[in-house]
Amino acid sequence: MAARKIVPQTTSPSGTKITLNPKMARRSFLKIAAATTALTGLALSGRLTKRAEAKTPKSPYSQSKIVRTICTYCSVGCGIYAEVENGVWVRQEIAQDHPVSRGGHCCKGAGAIDMVRSEKRLRSPMKRENGRWKRISWEQALDEICSKLLEIREKYGPDAVHWNGSAKVSTEMAYLQRKLAAFWGTNNIDHQARI
Amino acid sequence: MTNHFNDIRHAKLVFFIGSNAAEAHPVAMQHILYAKEVNNAPIIVVDPRFTKLAAKATDYVRIRPGTDTAFLMGLINQLIQNEWYDKEFVRTRVAGFEELKEVAAHYTPEVVEDITGVPAKEVVRIAKLMATHRPGTVVWCMGLTQHHIGSSNTRAACILQLMLGNMGVSGGGTNIFRGHDNVQGATDMCVLSHSLPGYYGLSEKAWRHWCEVWGVDYEWMKSRFHSKEYMEKPGFTLARWYEGVIQEDKIYQYTPIKAVVFWGCSSTSQSQYHKLKKALDKLELVVIIDPFPTTTAAMCEKDNVYLLPSTSQYETEGSVTSSCRQAQWRYKVVDPIYDSKTDYEILQEFVKRFGFADKFFKNIKKIPEDVTREIARGTLTIGLVGWLPERIKKHTDNWHTFDIDTLQAKGGPCDGEYYGLPWPCWTEEHPGTPILYDISKPVAKGGLPFRARFGTEYTYPSGRKENLLAAEGVANPGSEIMGGYPEFKGWKTDVRVIKEAVKRGMAPFGNARARCYCWNFPDPVPVHREPLHSPRPDLIKKYPTYPDKPNHYRVYTRFKSEQKPELVKEFPLVLITGRVVEHMGGGDETRSNKYLAELMPEVYAEINPRVANNYGLREGDMIWVESPEGGRIRVKVKITDRVDDRTIFIPYSFGGMFMGRSMAANYPDGLVPYAIGEPANIVVNYGYDIKTQIQATKEGLCRIRKA
Repeated sequence: MAARKIVPQTTSPSGTKITLNPKMARRSFLKIAAATTALTGLALSGRLTKRAEAKTPKSPYSQSKIVRTICTYCSVGCGIYAEVENGVWVRQEIAQDHPVSRGGHCCKGAGAIDMVRSEKRLRSPMKRENGRWKRISWEQALDEICSKLLEIREKYGPDAVHWNGSAKVSTEMAYLQRKLAAFWGTNNIDHQARI
Repeated sequence: MTNHFNDIRHAKLVFFIGSNAAEAHPVAMQHILYAKEVNNAPIIVVDPRFTKLAAKATDYVRIRPGTDTAFLMGLINQLIQNEWYDKEFVRTRVAGFEELKEVAAHYTPEVVEDITGVPAKEVVRIAKLMATHRPGTVVWCMGLTQHHIGSSNTRAACILQLMLGNMGVSGGGTNIFRGHDNVQGATDMCVLSHSLPGYYGLSEKAWRHWCEVWGVDYEWMKSRFHSKEYMEKPGFTLARWYEGVIQEDKIYQYTPIKAVVFWGCSSTSQSQYHKLKKALDKLELVVIIDPFPTTTAAMCEKDNVYLLPSTSQYETEGSVTSSCRQAQWRYKVVDPIYDSKTDYEILQEFVKRFGFADKFFKNIKKIPEDVTREIARGTLTIGLVGWLPERIKKHTDNWHTFDIDTLQAKGGPCDGEYYGLPWPCWTEEHPGTPILYDISKPVAKGGLPFRARFGTEYTYPSGRKENLLAAEGVANPGSEIMGGYPEFKGWKTDVRVIKEAVKRGMAPFGNARARCYCWNFPDPVPVHREPLHSPRPDLIKKYPTYPDKPNHYRVYTRFKSEQKPELVKEFPLVLITGRVVEHMGGGDETRSNKYLAELMPEVYAEINPRVANNYGLREGDMIWVESPEGGRIRVKVKITDRVDDRTIFIPYSFGGMFMGRSMAANYPDGLVPYAIGEPANIVVNYGYDIKTQIQATKEGLCRIRKA
């Protein structure tokens, strides 16, 4: 039986066929590449040869590990490869093999690493006292906040507190925020999806 | 989204209305541009502003802000009048067509031109383009939803797709590109004042279901509330909670609000911001839990505020749901930095101090995995039964094994499953549902009919009776009943019922028709209503807004009494707001990133050259923008044809300035963001959706003067 020539095609679930010919696309790319090489001549090929012979530079992070994670900005959910050495996030790389983002990043996602490096991060609990911000301990902050909340609940009722939850936390945390409002005794809880 | 980003690669046409994906969802653009270049798909962008997305369009339609329903109904009318609609789809899977036809008939191309400003022949041309390029997808974002008729706008867009037969097919669908990274997940968990997780609502039945999942006594839960009435009554929303404090509109609650907790939530994204600021200064307690101090902290000028440093999401872990209903596991990259704590730890500390830790964490020993399991046990309505932590992790660990066209794994550990197990994922073995309402696949393999949610029959006001279930012969392959069927009894609370249904090849929620006539909405078929603050007083008479709505999420919400035809004389320009690619939400994160701050350092108002010349303004001049409610902001002028000569545009992600005053000194030392600016929401007008109370940020009036 004679071998049949296979024309690459992708079939969408609805049955409509989108004809694609990656071979063609690749062929024209090679043509263009060949033309470019011819034009730029020896200088370029010389440099390429040199680069190919050079040794791969040693990674400055020899002990690092790579963590797969997801960008925290928009709902496209781009993949990120985070490189961590000694507990420090040292570099980030695009995820070429992520099925949705396929190596894409916007300017925000490209700076994801800055979420843990920004010098503008809040460093400790604080309270405003006599018009100035004062650093306080977690213990003091949590005790004061919670006793004030309980006092308000006692005096005015559970609906005197409004909780603004978040679309910027994990699904588990969002669920716990809703559950917390329920246990507190109010439906005064909402988040960014409303607006 | 009914479909997914990758599925847009199969679209023959992409129709955007109220979306600027090029700036708000840049990485999704690769799939859209693939459709444009490989399928030769027309890219239609409907927007008042020539956005960066419009620059990638084949067809740009400039529309007057707040007239989307009129435009969409105009397209629908053309499809019906010219018999371009999908008759078989309508016959078998749609209800209320006659009622729709009658309402749509009003929206002739000439009427649409008068309301929207889109030339009549463009309305016909776009309708024909859509009819001849199927399947096409319809995409929208907050440009469509943030209106006082936002819920009508979205329904009109859905009806348009029903008419084209574009639902339940690859390359079609209604695809709402959502904003924040986990807004889909947080919505599914119903961090919302009108529902418990999984869209169960607030009825006694809903509470009993969740009490059972949590392992707590219903009576105990009831005792936590002021009364049973308040337990079942929707609370204040993010859009209007501050009225609970300042009470400029009447509130319907036994107590004013005395304390607010901002937990990973910005305040500057809320309209009428100068009123919200009043509330901050009146509250007894403001708690801000965030990795950054936030603009909210800088706006507080009383000693009533605490800041708790939570970690970023890279210092903790959990699942996150993308716009396409896919779960991914966001792994922890590093331990918490500085003296910050994870949100989970902070919540545990709260719960411990509130004295119900034993009840709250009854089923939860390991965080977050046991929480994921509790969610899976309780959230049957949208089929999260199969979202087990180990399955979600497996998908993320093997993301490279999924096909980019179908998002189905080709071999490997997830073979045959769809990436991120898009919900509904009915069982522990279910592969996920990549395209909603797709009857070409068995339910067990990711197929689905339309949900039977509103009974089996309905009598319209005209006396016409209609069967609401799908027509004979329409069902997923392998279904025991080859035609419409009602929902299975008890499927929302008993997982055994779900498993039984799927085994029989059927959807647990039934097989019905999609409704064009929604009797539970104020406008059963979407109709145009002029924005509260309209630049067209003549149209207010013809298309008035709704009557005022008392007790709308516990607050009196003005509609009719707020619609003032004479307002345009004093406030002649229409104000719209939106995103820039460099910043997001309230901007506290992105403006604290020095690179992004350098790329987009300050707020500005886009103004048409004609307006600029009439007001004697040059590029870079400072102007005051003033709202009818007394809000005003000082911003820089950017002269551009992106907006027309009746509209101005301001990006909304700025903060740290307040009506001309810098609040920089009010941040903790050294923590002023790299970029600060006036929040556009100070001048965004009063106005809220009749159904959801979403704020109307994309309509409203303002005036400008040189500063």
